[in-house]
Amino acid sequence: MTKHIKIIEYALSSLLRRKYKSFAIIVAFSFTVAALASVLFLTTALKIEASHVFASAPDLIVQRTTAGRHELIPVDYAETIRNIPGVGAVHCRYWGYYYDALTEANYTVLGVKGDQDTLTLLDGRLPRTSGECAVGAGTAWLRHAESDRELILVNSQATGVVFDVVGVFRSESSLLSNDLVVLTDDGIKDFLGFPPDRATDIVVEVHNSNEVQTVAAKIKRFFPDARPITKSELIRTYDMVFNWRSGMMLTVFSAAVMAFCILAWDKATGISAEEKQEIGILKAIGWDTSDVLALKFWEGLIIAMTSFFVGILTGFAHVFFFDAAILASVIKGWSVLFPRFHLVPQINAYQVFVMGFLTVTPYVASTVIPAWKAAITDPDTVMRG
Amino acid sequence: MPDELTALNGISVEIERGRVTVLKGPSGSGKTSLLTLIGCMSRPTSGRIFVDGKDVVKLPERFLTGIRRKKFGFVFQQYHLIREVKVLENILLPLYPLTMKFSSMKERAMSVMKQLSIEEKQHFKVKQLSGGEQQRVAIARAIINNPEIVIADEPTAHLDLKLAGEFIDILRTLCGEGKSILIATHDPFVYDHAMVSTVIEMRNGRVEEVRVK
Repeated sequence: MTKHIKIIEYALSSLLRRKYKSFAIIVAFSFTVAALASVLFLTTALKIEASHVFASAPDLIVQRTTAGRHELIPVDYAETIRNIPGVGAVHCRYWGYYYDALTEANYTVLGVKGDQDTLTLLDGRLPRTSGECAVGAGTAWLRHAESDRELILVNSQATGVVFDVVGVFRSESSLLSNDLVVLTDDGIKDFLGFPPDRATDIVVEVHNSNEVQTVAAKIKRFFPDARPITKSELIRTYDMVFNWRSGMMLTVFSAAVMAFCILAWDKATGISAEEKQEIGILKAIGWDTSDVLALKFWEGLIIAMTSFFVGILTGFAHVFFFDAAILASVIKGWSVLFPRFHLVPQINAYQVFVMGFLTVTPYVASTVIPAWKAAITDPDTVMRG
Repeated sequence: MPDELTALNGISVEIERGRVTVLKGPSGSGKTSLLTLIGCMSRPTSGRIFVDGKDVVKLPERFLTGIRRKKFGFVFQQYHLIREVKVLENILLPLYPLTMKFSSMKERAMSVMKQLSIEEKQHFKVKQLSGGEQQRVAIARAIINNPEIVIADEPTAHLDLKLAGEFIDILRTLCGEGKSILIATHDPFVYDHAMVSTVIEMRNGRVEEVRVK
């Protein structure tokens, strides 16, 4: 133990002696780890956020498609669905998108009956009349529409409509509520110009979760133009979307990884004449091959672990304190409006371990292997170069 | 093989314990090669080397390291100090792989530095020292393990007469402590010195003459 502490001390002193080189490697290494960590943290956090959202999602959503595209669904479908055995509550949902030219952002406009328990009011209450609305934190921030103020939006007839903001939302996930404008069902029908017998989709509760697929099949049989979407399908789709997006980003960052690999390869294929001579000197004055390898191992590990933790912390800060400013628009992707999007810090220990293994191990190996080649050579030969 | 060079050939010498032995000869005569073989820093393609009666040529590397650590102290021609490192750390280097407490290591280093009058330079980097001071640091590093044999390769090559004289004084002290000294040199100031007991004259990789004073 004493011996290794002394060797670690000497390794630290060696790294400080080559401080500019060590610093440059730490910067390059940390950047690579930070880039990878940012993508993985953001993807994981988004997936977890999405899973929070879908935890309270209905068992089944029924949409209507025409020519493969989503269409408004007749509200009388709900009655037929309600009569299917095993089906609990069934209700029509009214929602759509609204492009706000003023802020150049898309809002999600959602109709509620005033009893939505998946969204928690941060401030105020749900709308009760057609002239009232509640908004997500992002919308409120963009339109300066805090509680007790007015929000003016342009309806489907191109007429400005004034809504009283009666609440600002928060939710388990800002992913869901950030871009919301919530109106009453009647309010949204007027505002977006829904035909009187149409809704956006129908949500269905199924008493026994094992029967969701059976109910979905029955709905499909009753209404061939309907598309029943189960909760598990939704979760799987979002997982795939995030995996695809993170895969794209990892591909982009593979350039950084490649650059780092070249650096590691450069180290692995040879050590400097100065380092070689130092190994020769150490061997000549009584250091064993294992002592030299221990020295190089600690040097590599100190650099790699320092870089790894700096990279992980930078990635963590980037994603969770700076809201993934560099990556968010690419990975989140589907909406224009994500101001002040804030993710709850989530870390997957397994991912961090794998990332550590895939970055620290190659670097340490690339430090030790060339040193090993020099350390097993006669000290005289190594010193002479 | 056409590219192979025979550095040493047909050599048979014996280095006496507790004496000063000099390998004398012009550059390229094989002095340094012989020193590195004796010091277990390289292996001969053929032949045998006995240290304390034990043939070391066939020994695995880890045993040679042990012999280098316990038996030999080297003072290289170019000193081979680590220039960016402080004097104290350079001197302590041979002790790092040992299971010795840092306080004991430092105590021993202070004693050696005092013996060589370089204790005031302990916090200087090697590159800040003069040639003579660097050589003392190299000697201090060579003897900190209390080796039985001190090997010095062209120790006066970079020293003026005064410093060379001081070096000889140090060797004389070491010899007085019972250490064997083996020096490779072509400097008459060294090989003609009274303290030298044996002069082995080399030329073209062979021993020309062994002169015992």
